[in-house]
Amino acid sequence: MSKTILEVIDLKKHFAHRKGLLSFGEPHRSIPAVDGVSFYLKENETVGLVGESGCGKTTIGRTILRLEKPTSGRIIFDGTDITALDTGELRKLRGKMQMIFQDLDAALNPKMRIREILNEAITVHHELTDADVDKRIAELLEQVNLKRSKLSNFPHELSGGEKRRVGVARVLSVGAQFLVADEPTSALDVSIQAQVVNLLRDLQKQLGLSFLFISHDLRVVELVSHKVAVMYLGKIVEMGLSGRIANKASHPYTHILWSSLVEKQSREAGKKATSVQAGRWGVFDFERPLEGCRFAPRCPVFESKGRPDICTSAASEPVLREIAGGHQVACHFPL
Amino acid sequence: MTAPLLKIEDLRTYFYSKSKQAFIRSVDNVNLEIGKGETLGVVGESGSGKSITALSVMGLLSAGPGVITGRIGFKSDRVQKNLLQDIGDFVKLTMMDGKVMAVQKDEDGWQELSEHRMSNLRGKEISMIFQNPKQSMNPFMTVGRQITEAIQLHTEHKSEQAAKERALEWLDRVKIDTPRLRFDNHPYGLSGGMCQRAMIAMALSCEPSLLIADEPTTGLDATIQSKIVDLLAELKAELGITTMLISHDISIISRLSDTVAVMYGGTVVETGPAKAILAKNEDLKHPYTAALLISIPSSENIKGKGNLQAIEGDVLDTINIPAGCRFYGRCNRVTDKIKEKCERQEPDLRDISPGHKARCWLYFD
Repeated sequence: MSKTILEVIDLKKHFAHRKGLLSFGEPHRSIPAVDGVSFYLKENETVGLVGESGCGKTTIGRTILRLEKPTSGRIIFDGTDITALDTGELRKLRGKMQMIFQDLDAALNPKMRIREILNEAITVHHELTDADVDKRIAELLEQVNLKRSKLSNFPHELSGGEKRRVGVARVLSVGAQFLVADEPTSALDVSIQAQVVNLLRDLQKQLGLSFLFISHDLRVVELVSHKVAVMYLGKIVEMGLSGRIANKASHPYTHILWSSLVEKQSREAGKKATSVQAGRWGVFDFERPLEGCRFAPRCPVFESKGRPDICTSAASEPVLREIAGGHQVACHFPL
Repeated sequence: MTAPLLKIEDLRTYFYSKSKQAFIRSVDNVNLEIGKGETLGVVGESGSGKSITALSVMGLLSAGPGVITGRIGFKSDRVQKNLLQDIGDFVKLTMMDGKVMAVQKDEDGWQELSEHRMSNLRGKEISMIFQNPKQSMNPFMTVGRQITEAIQLHTEHKSEQAAKERALEWLDRVKIDTPRLRFDNHPYGLSGGMCQRAMIAMALSCEPSLLIADEPTTGLDATIQSKIVDLLAELKAELGITTMLISHDISIISRLSDTVAVMYGGTVVETGPAKAILAKNEDLKHPYTAALLISIPSSENIKGKGNLQAIEGDVLDTINIPAGCRFYGRCNRVTDKIKEKCERQEPDLRDISPGHKARCWLYFD
């Protein structure tokens, strides 16, 4: 059994919402972007995190890497509690955990050449001679399958796929073992997306990396992840092995997500999934989540059961419970 | 096939790059036809010229030293003309050793002619749904006001009250809940999916002959995306409107289109009935289309947990277009027999079966 590399216990991140300069004295409202999330990640494993935009996926990634300070909860990385480390200790940690950012136009310094970008990343954690740095860069280029001639280019001269490769090479250069990949394939063309997905999976096999794979592209997540966690408004509503989540979803939300895949619909043309049609898209408000189950206003099961009280009463917000081996769901009426 | 509503012949849209002293050939020899009542799906990777083709049709590309040549024949019940007639007269090229040294363009004259020609077509005969609804709408005007304005301009409903009623009707038709409330919202007050619905309402409210939808669902969440696709499918069945649907998402194209055109490197490499092109068999298909289809993560290759079949290499650089086939460098089906031809000479778009054309040497010997 491989060991657990990351464990997150009841993590919360609330952002303060300030109204403006003249709002002194008024109570600060807080936005619960991540509201009590627990999961773990084993070595050499990929956990996929899916959900609609605004559900807190990226915030979880950033908080785990301590780019944001968690409001409460604990993050245990490689056996040590990193929830309350100070900046000096965090610096050392950055050599082990890294993030592949979503928008590489923003993440790569436009005034640095690719060689300088990689050079900086390599030397910031390790003291190496110039010759060693060159050797390491050559090694990295090989790993991410990037041409040597691109080293003297600026980021804007590279294509989307190449920029992504540079981003991956930079993360690998520090020797990180745990990576948060935030939408690594969004904004890429399908042919390039396939290249990047293959690259990440090959690297995982070669180097034994662990990934937290954040994406709203369900097909990619299903393909690369061992486990999938589905988020809705700051909470995990269902979690389990990726095959089960995709095919035997128990939470109505997961079911709607996966059956809304257009590919699936066109294959089953004609017979429309009734649950999708029944889903009522009420407005959701992050600042004042409803009492009880957060998904209730949009939930087809809630409607069809005649709006039972258990779904909307504050005392009985559904919690994750096991329904089959490793498959957890937070719903009073799992499908 | 019914008479084509839009017939694009040899469309070339070039932009001049001063620093490289060359043309960026964004759209290069595109031939397309859309029959009345049909939906044409245009797929391709980014940079393949899909959007530029659409913008050329709309006449929205006048700015900058861009050169458009070719013929865009538009023929509806009310109008019949070539949208690009005489427009090339405003451009002078200075060539030297095969290099374009300078492009002189009478910007004002071009603009005037283009605007004059398009002003009574745009919105009324051809309308467009853009990729980013929030940026395409006026942020200072309420959604309802914008739709009402379009209706007053382009239809016979000239009075404020009648136009407003029409606008509300359309908002209701695109399934915006509580249209009367949303009517007075500004675009930023609507969610992405709702804004796209309002955009669709605005585009359709003048009952155009041709609707161009440029990536109508890109950037929306999966759940919202499928709702918008449902809506487009319903409107298509209900109104029978002729549509040019541009998307890089093959699943959306396959759901909505009757015919499909696959673009690569600025040109159309394959066109034909949607069923034939999007079927998952390898034969009788342009190698690019085949490779594109298997590089999508589908349920089959998800189950195997195997690696995806990526297309090696990168999207074509449209400045230095190779002499031979555009896809030659990335093609995995080049045989020794046709290798030389692929490298030297660009294949034409020719029939490989009735109504199904491809630009590949594999099929003509």
